[in-house]
Amino acid sequence: MDIVLGLRIKGGVLVATSKAATRGISVIKVGDDKTRELNPNTLMAYTGEAGDTVQFAEYIMANTRLYGIRHDIELSPSAVASFTRNQLAKALRSRKPYQVNVLIAGFDPKTEKPTLNLIDYLASNVELPYAAHGYAAYYTMSLLDRHWKEGMTQEEGVVLMRMCIKELQTRLPVDFKGVYVKVVDKDGIRDVSALVYPDEYPEAEVTEELEVQQGEIAA
Amino acid sequence: MSGYDRALSVFSPDGHVFQVEYALEAVKRGTAAVGVKGKDVVILGCEKRSALKLQDPRITPSKICKLDTHVSLAFAGLNADARILVDKARVEAQSHRLTVEDPVSVEYISRYIAGVQQRYTQSGGVRPFGISTLIVGFDPNDKVPKLYQTEPSGIYNAWKANAIGKSSKTVRDFLEKNYEEDMDKAATIRLAIKSLLEVVQTGAKNIEIAILSADNPTEVLSTETIAEYVAEIEEEKEAEAKKQKPSRD
Amino acid sequence: MSNPQEINGGSCVAMVGKDCVAIACDLRMGSQGLGVSNDFEKVFNYGDNVYLGLTGLATDVQTLHEVFREKTNLYKMAEERQIEPETFANLVSSTLYEKRFGPYFVGPIVAGINSKTEKPFICGFDLIGCIDFAKDFIVSGTASDMLYGMCESLWQPDLEPEDLFNTCSQALMCAMDRDPLGGWGAIVWIITKDKVVKKLLKTRQD
Repeated sequence: MDIVLGLRIKGGVLVATSKAATRGISVIKVGDDKTRELNPNTLMAYTGEAGDTVQFAEYIMANTRLYGIRHDIELSPSAVASFTRNQLAKALRSRKPYQVNVLIAGFDPKTEKPTLNLIDYLASNVELPYAAHGYAAYYTMSLLDRHWKEGMTQEEGVVLMRMCIKELQTRLPVDFKGVYVKVVDKDGIRDVSALVYPDEYPEAEVTEELEVQQGEIAA
Repeated sequence: MSGYDRALSVFSPDGHVFQVEYALEAVKRGTAAVGVKGKDVVILGCEKRSALKLQDPRITPSKICKLDTHVSLAFAGLNADARILVDKARVEAQSHRLTVEDPVSVEYISRYIAGVQQRYTQSGGVRPFGISTLIVGFDPNDKVPKLYQTEPSGIYNAWKANAIGKSSKTVRDFLEKNYEEDMDKAATIRLAIKSLLEVVQTGAKNIEIAILSADNPTEVLSTETIAEYVAEIEEEKEAEAKKQKPSRD
Repeated sequence: MSNPQEINGGSCVAMVGKDCVAIACDLRMGSQGLGVSNDFEKVFNYGDNVYLGLTGLATDVQTLHEVFREKTNLYKMAEERQIEPETFANLVSSTLYEKRFGPYFVGPIVAGINSKTEKPFICGFDLIGCIDFAKDFIVSGTASDMLYGMCESLWQPDLEPEDLFNTCSQALMCAMDRDPLGGWGAIVWIITKDKVVKKLLKTRQD
């Protein structure tokens, strides 16, 4: 039930990932970040089998960064996506495939174009204007089909993202504890969750609640 | 030939491993490199071999290499050997990040590189790396500059300032005489360039300088800036020479 | 989900005309019922006169495309000429059979014109490389049953390029209309001895 959602805007890509980490029927973390910065202009968001996901994402991250250090030039986002696909394809026909679905959001500083690649655990790689994995796709694709437009501004993108998240909050049977929203553009990767949740951000609320509970136990 | 330099893994009767000593010879023939620590910066300086007429200096590989975002390395000796060692270090730096979620410390990567060099003095069918290295940088969450040196034998040491390669003794003597504690950035750069000028005759165009500070580990000086420093140093030397002249007669 | 060849969906068809061949594919790539991409081409060319349609599991379509690109490039360097359709068909067959006991889940079809004899050539394969030579048409993919029916009724011998384009397009579009896993646009290639035309068909988008 993890949410991984991305949409291309003018000069960048917005990526939203749900904050809940779940095992079975329990929520075991409310501030889980399901993304990794592969290099200064490429972000990977992931869902899938617990354990496989982080292991795989960090393996790709290590290799992408090694490439940057070795060659003194960063891989383009589309090259990172091809590399990721290849690693997943190799794993697919091994004894234990990685069960990981990813989005690769990037801004290529050379072509000055933002790209969003959807890669599933079968290693099918497609470049798309907007994309989601899992159940989130069923609830958001219709909204995105209707409202997404080529060359949307970041503000318009954030509004559309907010619509998608509201729909997910309404329709999904479980609380996914909100989302982190990040943008990838010419200036790199930034957290823009505050723009999507203007009222309830940052997480001050959560920490406060915890403190109260601990106080009660102590009393 | 005494016969004790035939195989790498054979000691001579008086306890030498000759191949390792030959490797040190290769280092001595390599162009000089120098490392100097200041208060909160550390400088790597290199003598650039003068480029052949048709060589493209813009894309010819440098003797100063980045190992990770926060660590750099300069070497003296066989360029081709260095490439292999640098690549091993880069892979280890990323592998370390992957397994323990922390960047390597300068000490760790120096120990790793020295470890690799040691391995190549004790296994069959290989020869030692013909390079010495200077490794500089900052540990994660730390503002203290670090400087280490490794040798073909696998020894590694920490230094305040040191030189390797051709005429390294001259440069080291100079550093020993002129080193001061807690130098600021400009003074550190000056000392590094001044020490290199002891052995580099051709001046600024054959010097390469990299500056690492805690918040900017990737500054490289342009030839023009180095030339400014060189001019300043020459001027000073001349002034000193003039001062000494009248006293002679 | 049990049949890997039907997860992503998609179809291809190739036809022979008079001194020409046509090969076409739809553009959908989905994840079972959900459409994911409407820009997923399944026909690739290797050299000027060899075309390969790949239906089935999208990941294997992409992998095999990369494999054949490598192999045909190496062939071009070794032989100092481009590969002929007949040779390429055997290359496809042997490449697929290499994975006899863990196959790529694809349904390839080859179309092209031999540059020496100038004869049109088409053929199809099963997923482990058994070649199916044909003089008329070859179909493949999730709409293959419907494509058989359409081709049987529309195709006739010695069609001129324009007529072949129409026949091929109509066969594919009508077949796609009954296939929930296909559609979302189509690409048709018309290949003659010294001219190749690629056309985009805007079709029903549901």
